[in-house]
Amino acid sequence: MLSREADSMFWIGRYVERADATARIVDVQYHSELEGAFPYAQEGDDPQRALWSSILAITGDDEKFAAQYEDNHIERNVLDYFAFRLTNPNSITSCVSRARENARRVREMISSEMYEALNIFYLEVTRWNVDKILDASPHGFFSQVKNSSHLFQGITDRTMPNDEPRAFLECGLYLERAEKTARILDVKYHLLQRGQAELNSPLDQHQWTAVLKSVGAFEAFRKAHRLGISPAQVVSFLVLNPNFPSSMCYAIDRAERALRSISGSKGRIPTNRAERLIGRLHSDLAFLTTEEILDVGLHDFLEEVQSRCNEIGIAISEAYLRY
Amino acid sequence: MSLFDNYALDKFYDEMFSSPGEPRPHYRSLHAALSHLSPQEFKKRALMAEASMVNQGITFTVYGDDLGLEKTMPVDLVPRIMTHDEWERIERGLIQRIQALNLFLHDIYHDQNILNDGVVPRDLIVNAKHFRREFLGAKVPRDIYVQICGTDLVRNDSGDYYVLEDNLRSPSGVSYVLQNRMLMARTFPQLFRENRVMAVDHYCSQLLTNLRYISPRQIDDPVVVLLTPGEFNSAYFEHAFLAQQMGIDLVQGSDLYVEQNIVWMRTTRGPQRVDVVYRRIDDDFLDPLTFRKDSSLGVPGLVNAYRAGNVALANAVGTGIADDKVIYAYVPAMIKYYLDQDALLPNVPTYLSCEDAQRDHILQNLDKLVVKSANEAGGYGMLMGPQSTKEEQNEFAEKIKSDPRNFIAQPLVEISRAPSFVGDTDKFEGRHIDLRPYILVGESISIIPGGLTRVALTRGSYVVNSSQGGGSKDTWVLAKPIAQSQSMGNMSQSQTLGGMTRSQPSMRQPQNGANVMTQTQTAQE
Repeated sequence: MLSREADSMFWIGRYVERADATARIVDVQYHSELEGAFPYAQEGDDPQRALWSSILAITGDDEKFAAQYEDNHIERNVLDYFAFRLTNPNSITSCVSRARENARRVREMISSEMYEALNIFYLEVTRWNVDKILDASPHGFFSQVKNSSHLFQGITDRTMPNDEPRAFLECGLYLERAEKTARILDVKYHLLQRGQAELNSPLDQHQWTAVLKSVGAFEAFRKAHRLGISPAQVVSFLVLNPNFPSSMCYAIDRAERALRSISGSKGRIPTNRAERLIGRLHSDLAFLTTEEILDVGLHDFLEEVQSRCNEIGIAISEAYLRY
Repeated sequence: MSLFDNYALDKFYDEMFSSPGEPRPHYRSLHAALSHLSPQEFKKRALMAEASMVNQGITFTVYGDDLGLEKTMPVDLVPRIMTHDEWERIERGLIQRIQALNLFLHDIYHDQNILNDGVVPRDLIVNAKHFRREFLGAKVPRDIYVQICGTDLVRNDSGDYYVLEDNLRSPSGVSYVLQNRMLMARTFPQLFRENRVMAVDHYCSQLLTNLRYISPRQIDDPVVVLLTPGEFNSAYFEHAFLAQQMGIDLVQGSDLYVEQNIVWMRTTRGPQRVDVVYRRIDDDFLDPLTFRKDSSLGVPGLVNAYRAGNVALANAVGTGIADDKVIYAYVPAMIKYYLDQDALLPNVPTYLSCEDAQRDHILQNLDKLVVKSANEAGGYGMLMGPQSTKEEQNEFAEKIKSDPRNFIAQPLVEISRAPSFVGDTDKFEGRHIDLRPYILVGESISIIPGGLTRVALTRGSYVVNSSQGGGSKDTWVLAKPIAQSQSMGNMSQSQTLGGMTRSQPSMRQPQNGANVMTQTQTAQE
């Protein structure tokens, strides 16, 4: 396949996953705010602002956000920024629109059903704006985004041969997922540390629940860990669990498999830098223990994973996509 | 209350009705079905069809908004129907025409016999905008200059077909033929059960077969690509659609490069050699080293690789010479010259302003004639005499006098009309239509039954181009009646002329599965 097309496939995977992740994060945040838990506030903080700023920290958008909005409707503005702002390249609308642009460029390569699903996704998203969703139901909108991205991923699974173009799409998708999970966990953990909630207090439980819900992992986690929620258990589930689709270990495993299928290298010997980097990260996630991670410090560990994901993305681009 | 209430025929040939309220035999079943529909029901289906097009992204983007605005190309849901016999006559005429045109192109770029014999004036050719003197003597794979041709036909007020123009560069619109069919089948499935409509969906396989046929390398699996100017081109949907249906790569200029006269594409597994390029880019933009230096759409060196015989282009470079509306006037003479036959499909009578006597006639009758410039497309550069103002006529008179080579004039053809749904009156009204069949040339010549019927949706307009408010409708060629097909079952129709054998395209049958004889009768040659 053409390098240009591989690049587009990679980014379709990434953007659709990113839209999904953003919808989850904002939805969970919006609802934990509704339920009145403001644990992050320190003396003198505006509690609502403190809550919403955690989401800006997740995406690293604090400054860009501040530069674009002046008034005090923090909630409305955050929803607008993450869902609809076109000047925010990571907003849901931006991601879906760019996924569709990329799909348009490789239209002959993907199935008609995939294009149609993505196109309808785009058309639906552009029918909304922040006032409309506040009027109706933000949750309804975010669910729609999640469903549309899952529909697209499901249709891909069903209509696209398991060959090179799909491998590039999956590389983008799972690399994005691993990185987003690391990021969500990092920021939430950071804020929990900073807040006033006592360990194992109802508030603490509430917040860890929110973390799990934001990656769609709460119910699965419950089945695995019936006795309350501790940071160690969350790490073991969201970082090291090899079987849960949102866990970093699972996502990196899938990304690595996709990458290996592109070069056809089955054995242990990596054929390029991207494979070497992702194989190493996969080994870490497969063999580290929760205790070792907590010893290093969760924040440092998660930050390192994010930067390694980033490097892998660059290496993939160097190996296949640049010309 | 019927959608056909107050349907006026006026002075035009109507495709559906022979006289007021009296549908022609081959339209009876459609007429009966549509007569039962209420305007609300028809509108509902039209909205459904439009939504399906929007969802599939069969749209144009209108820029100016942050996110762009999506518009569909209007589709009129009343199909146009042709009988089998009618289509066969057209098909024969088109095959004859494309044979002559291909022989003409070969001749022009080689021996120029037709010029030497004075049948076509030499200065018309050498002064033609799309004549490529760089290609004199160049060898074209299999001697086929035009692989894909779209020839526009109209019917006059007595129902006779005329050729309006030939499009031999990169005619577009075939994707709408295929999409319209799919849309109709989904929107009015029962109509297909009642009418035996010949299938069109083999177009892409036939095109791919023909493209592979011209590969310079005789290998099992030549690499065929479709070269597009990119996603901002208005025909991008079609480019992507055709590439997808053929399963070939859709490439842009920047995906290709030329090294030592061989064309390569940049893939994730390194360079891959390209054998055949179905290019949807005009000559001018094909190769900045040969043609326009400022174009970044093409591939530097492509033309040399082509001249060296290392890659095939469809259509060949320089075919635009036969697109020229002045050259068009000579096609009947070409048919006589190369095939020694009379043209089966006549041209619209054409006056050339480069001929003194004819120019005088044009200038004196500007209010009655349609004046066209020789190399414009899309309905631009035209004067519709009877509908024009004195001022416009004077303006064209000046243009003609200052550049006589560049204009032709034709009497206004009162082109036929067919019923179209008009949203603001909730009724069917007659609208002018034309027909663009798509002719594919490879080892043999094939034409999918029918083609693109374009409709001038604006009341009173004769201009069907989509850029001028036109839409399209599905074109149905009915299968041969069963009794007839049995009696004619072993008649094979083939002509061999100028090295080209004609065989009919394979006719796959629609759902009802009847009429096996017509499917097989063509293979016996």
